[in-house]
Amino acid sequence: MRNDLELDAIIEDYLLGKLNAQETEAFEQLRRNDATVDHKVVSHKFFLESMGTFAEQLRLKEQLNHIHSEIDVESLASTFRPHPSRVVQLWRKHKSAIAVAASFVVLSLVSIYSIQHNTQQAERYRQLSNQVNNAIKTQNSLIRNIKHNNNNTTSGKPNAQNSFGGTGFAISTNGYILTNLHIINGADSLYVQNSRGESFKVKSVYTDPQNDIAILKINDRHFSNLSSIPYTIKRNTSNIGEIVYTLGYPKDDAVLGEGYVSSKNGFIGDTTQYQVAISVNPGNSGGPVLDNNGNLVGIISGKPDQTEGAAFAIKSKYILEAMRAIPQDSLGVNKLSANKKSLLSGLKRTKQIEKIQDYVFMIKAY
Amino acid sequence: MNNSLKSSVPTDREVILGILNNSEETLNKLYKAYYAMVLQFILNNNGDEDDAKDVYQEGIIILYNKIKAGNFELSSKLKTYIYSVCRRIWLKKLSLNSKKAGSITDYEDVFAVEEDVEHHEEKDAAFVKMQSALDHLGEPCKTIIQDFYIHNLSMQDICEKFGYTNTDNAKTQKYKCLQRLKKIFFQP
Repeated sequence: MRNDLELDAIIEDYLLGKLNAQETEAFEQLRRNDATVDHKVVSHKFFLESMGTFAEQLRLKEQLNHIHSEIDVESLASTFRPHPSRVVQLWRKHKSAIAVAASFVVLSLVSIYSIQHNTQQAERYRQLSNQVNNAIKTQNSLIRNIKHNNNNTTSGKPNAQNSFGGTGFAISTNGYILTNLHIINGADSLYVQNSRGESFKVKSVYTDPQNDIAILKINDRHFSNLSSIPYTIKRNTSNIGEIVYTLGYPKDDAVLGEGYVSSKNGFIGDTTQYQVAISVNPGNSGGPVLDNNGNLVGIISGKPDQTEGAAFAIKSKYILEAMRAIPQDSLGVNKLSANKKSLLSGLKRTKQIEKIQDYVFMIKAY
Repeated sequence: MNNSLKSSVPTDREVILGILNNSEETLNKLYKAYYAMVLQFILNNNGDEDDAKDVYQEGIIILYNKIKAGNFELSSKLKTYIYSVCRRIWLKKLSLNSKKAGSITDYEDVFAVEEDVEHHEEKDAAFVKMQSALDHLGEPCKTIIQDFYIHNLSMQDICEKFGYTNTDNAKTQKYKCLQRLKKIFFQP
């Protein structure tokens, strides 16, 4: 043991070059003769090298730690730390991506806007309630008013009449009438007028804003029940090219419009509507669209702003849906249905019009 | 702070020459020049300040050893080199801790430094081995060994510090400690 320690001391002194020439030579002699000693020298050399590297690295680390302590880590960290708010974090992370996306969005918005602007110029949905008529009417009434004023100047009250007109049709014999919601929307009082010029007061009993459908009920003691409804509802959708016609009140007398189903979808692909090639005018809204056999295909509801000779018609299945919303027994036995055979089937157009004109009403909303 | 750091960024040539000449000032400048960059990288990739410190110091040590070894060829900017090394180290740590690396947010260019990092890892393993051997040694051996081999104290100083009656006693003690340390160090 004692010897080992001395040997270690000599080996270390030898490796560190602390031995004098004589001692070195003696030790090298010993090393050559004794493999164990030689092994110890080699391993101690390796160990000293490891220790040297270790010491060096340790000193370097200490130095770095010392430098590190001079840095104000906290303030730096707070600058670079992911911001607590996710928005800021996202912004920092994806600054460039967001910039690209934003410019893309702006660009597409601009192009969409310009495209839409163009289409807006070309096509705009126009509800065909009789606002134009209304303007004429108010003008008329204004003229009347002026005349009136001339006669009786004390009455300075302006004529505040504000009326809308459209078309509707009977869906039951006891006075239920279906029309467009946009005709009667916001009206104070509603009247219907039949082809013979008789007016009846009605009230709205059901509205469906989504499909623009309203059901009115004649609420007038002068009204006598109609005879059975001549037309029926078409259950399945109509094909393009099917001849259809509509009867409506764009003016004070009923007007027939005839054409064909021109598209299975309505305004900008609206699947609840057909496009029909019928010239319609304000006031046609709410008019029934019938095919040659007297089946109700739809309801005229509007037209594209700038395409002449085209109109949109709500598909007939939404009529059925609206009718289901009314208590079934209140509609009476003789209601519009899809099951019966149409009374109009096989008749000439003139005869058909003759039969349905009693069932198509002018709607007047005040 | 940030600005003052940036203004004192040493040139790459300055750094290499300074490290070769053991200039503490250069090391100081180097360290402060790029710390913010690595801190930003680590903080934004699932790390904290301590991680940043560890990773950055490792990166600096790798650069330091490479320059010292004399085989450092400046093929890119030092900044890029340090960033790449630190990035590599951090990615390794992330995958070791099976934290999700997900998408790494980069702030600088990167080039391949796998070899340097792996070389450093071997070296670091030896360092850790020595460290743990010393830790296993216990007192007073650990301090005696450290004082002699690391802090380069003479046997006389050690003798006085530990209150040995004479240097021979101290020497004997040191060699006893050394034998034990070597035993621990060389055991597989």
